[in-house]
Amino acid sequence: MNLRESVGIALGGIRANKLRSFLTLLGTIIGVASVIAVVSFVEGMNKFVTDKLLNAGANVFVVDKYGFIGSEEAFEAARRRPDVTLDDADDLRLGIRNASMVVGEAEGNTSVHYRDHVLKGVSVHGRGAGYDVVDDIAIGEGRHLTEFDDRRREPVCVIGPEVAEELFANVDPIGHRIRIGVQDFEVVGLTQAKGKLFGITQDRFVTIPVRTFQKFFQERGSFSIAVKSDDESSLPLAEQEARNIMRARRHQRPGQPDLFGITTSETWLELYHKLTGGIFIVTIGVAAISLLVGGIVIMNIMLVSVTERTREIGIRKALGARRHDILAQFLVESTTLSLAGGVIGILLGAGLALGVGAVSPLPAAVSLPAVLLGVIMSTGVGVFFGSYPAVRAARLDPIDALRHE
Amino acid sequence: MLIAIQDLHRVYQVGDQEVRALDGVDLNIDKNEYVAIMGPSGSGKSTLMNILGCLDTPSQGSYRLKGLEIGKMSDDELARIRNVEIGFVFQTFNLLPRADALHNVELPLVYAGAKHEERRARAKEVLTTVGLGDRMKHRPNELSGGQRQRVAIARALVNRPSIILADEPTGNLDSRTGEEIMVAFENIWRQGNTVILVTHEPDVAEHARRIVRMKDGRIESDTVNPNPRSPAPASPPAHA
Repeated sequence: MNLRESVGIALGGIRANKLRSFLTLLGTIIGVASVIAVVSFVEGMNKFVTDKLLNAGANVFVVDKYGFIGSEEAFEAARRRPDVTLDDADDLRLGIRNASMVVGEAEGNTSVHYRDHVLKGVSVHGRGAGYDVVDDIAIGEGRHLTEFDDRRREPVCVIGPEVAEELFANVDPIGHRIRIGVQDFEVVGLTQAKGKLFGITQDRFVTIPVRTFQKFFQERGSFSIAVKSDDESSLPLAEQEARNIMRARRHQRPGQPDLFGITTSETWLELYHKLTGGIFIVTIGVAAISLLVGGIVIMNIMLVSVTERTREIGIRKALGARRHDILAQFLVESTTLSLAGGVIGILLGAGLALGVGAVSPLPAAVSLPAVLLGVIMSTGVGVFFGSYPAVRAARLDPIDALRHE
Repeated sequence: MLIAIQDLHRVYQVGDQEVRALDGVDLNIDKNEYVAIMGPSGSGKSTLMNILGCLDTPSQGSYRLKGLEIGKMSDDELARIRNVEIGFVFQTFNLLPRADALHNVELPLVYAGAKHEERRARAKEVLTTVGLGDRMKHRPNELSGGQRQRVAIARALVNRPSIILADEPTGNLDSRTGEEIMVAFENIWRQGNTVILVTHEPDVAEHARRIVRMKDGRIESDTVNPNPRSPAPASPPAHA
């Protein structure tokens, strides 16, 4: 019918009063933009996580003192557990038949010196032999650490490319001695670059044998044990074997809860899903509030418009417009208005996602479903919040409306 | 009979008081009559006009337009009758300010469901007959009062209604322009249309061939106008 006319009136109104229109549409814009941005991020992240996080540490689980701690009570209870030792690691290595690799691990953080170069806050990885398989680290130059290094507690290290670059610049680091904390180490290997994960570099570290780590950095305290199963299907078997061995070593009775923790990549995936689920819920909340406010503002502006144009409504009715003609006219107007907000919101949200994606390592993927969602949401707002003003307009008495000044 | 009104009442409730705006009106109007409804304010002439124009329905009594009982119709049915049977001309023109003359004239055809090209062509034709062929793209605020009223007349004519219903059509115009508008009504009537003028000005009413006078919600007198004031200089009446 007069769809084109109604759309024209709405767009004309937006153009004629840009500031008012912008303020009117702000809620809708923010609501749609936030949904688009977050959906884009989460979709990008999902892809990224499945690509990187899972494939990198595929079929690996970690045995340690704490496991995955979800609450303060759980932490208090876990604190009283016995430490996980390198003897535990040796027993697991001997005992788990479904494992291809078992590696004792410890982590530290200290400054690293080479001559007058100082690098602060470097991750120090204590690692048993086979860490390269578990951590998916390839050597660039020199060699990996060996079982022999570990048993003899050798002061040797493998360094990440960022450390190499910042300490040695153009010098080949292999064979040079660096100071890690207060102890001198010989650089025997340089790893290949791995790039960044969630914006955090994976190349700024030094790796030393785990028993050397124990000797110099951690005489007491608990270690972690990374276990890599033969393949995906044997992962649960390996996990069960590890649990049995650990329980036996701790003389645990059946039914007693584990006095250690086992964390799989599954655990991390669950955490990730919880996290993104949380982000989604917060976004839905923000979007819902924005759209509610945006909708009320649109309703308000439409009520003003109905009042301002009461006489026009009267004229149209006198000329033969039926109720649903008037209803449709104002619904088309409110929907055009909110859809305009939706389009701006989609562009803004997509721009935000792609912009952040371009300058940061956070990935973003603007998908068609997200855009459709934005369109549907804004249309819904226009129809829902436009209904009441439109119904009021449609119900106006033609005589009263014509008399309206 | 085009219009047959019997014992028509219209009662308003104002606060706790009943206002009997129409209190037993009987009126018949034939096709191609030229009738003026006169009366002071409060006489009920506006109420009668609203009911004649199907904007309002009677509280009691019967109003038949082309044999159809108006009083029992729903809002949407009334809208349909207004669209097809009634052409309104208002004192204040009542054009859509943001639409050009052509679009204003097209409007009844929009609600009649006519196709775009068809209503365009028809609106242009009618605008040309009222002498505004060169003003079609002008908005109301770019037109003089007389031109605006001619746009309104074109709009009233565009859907070929049974009745042209004019409410004080010269009230907002100077006397010379008012005369021009009265010429337009004379011509419309001569072309075979039924014209009903609602006015309190004797000068205007005297153009009509029949004058109905109202007072206190009733018809006081209903007479043939013996000396219609023909605004057209010397052309003989076409229907005579």
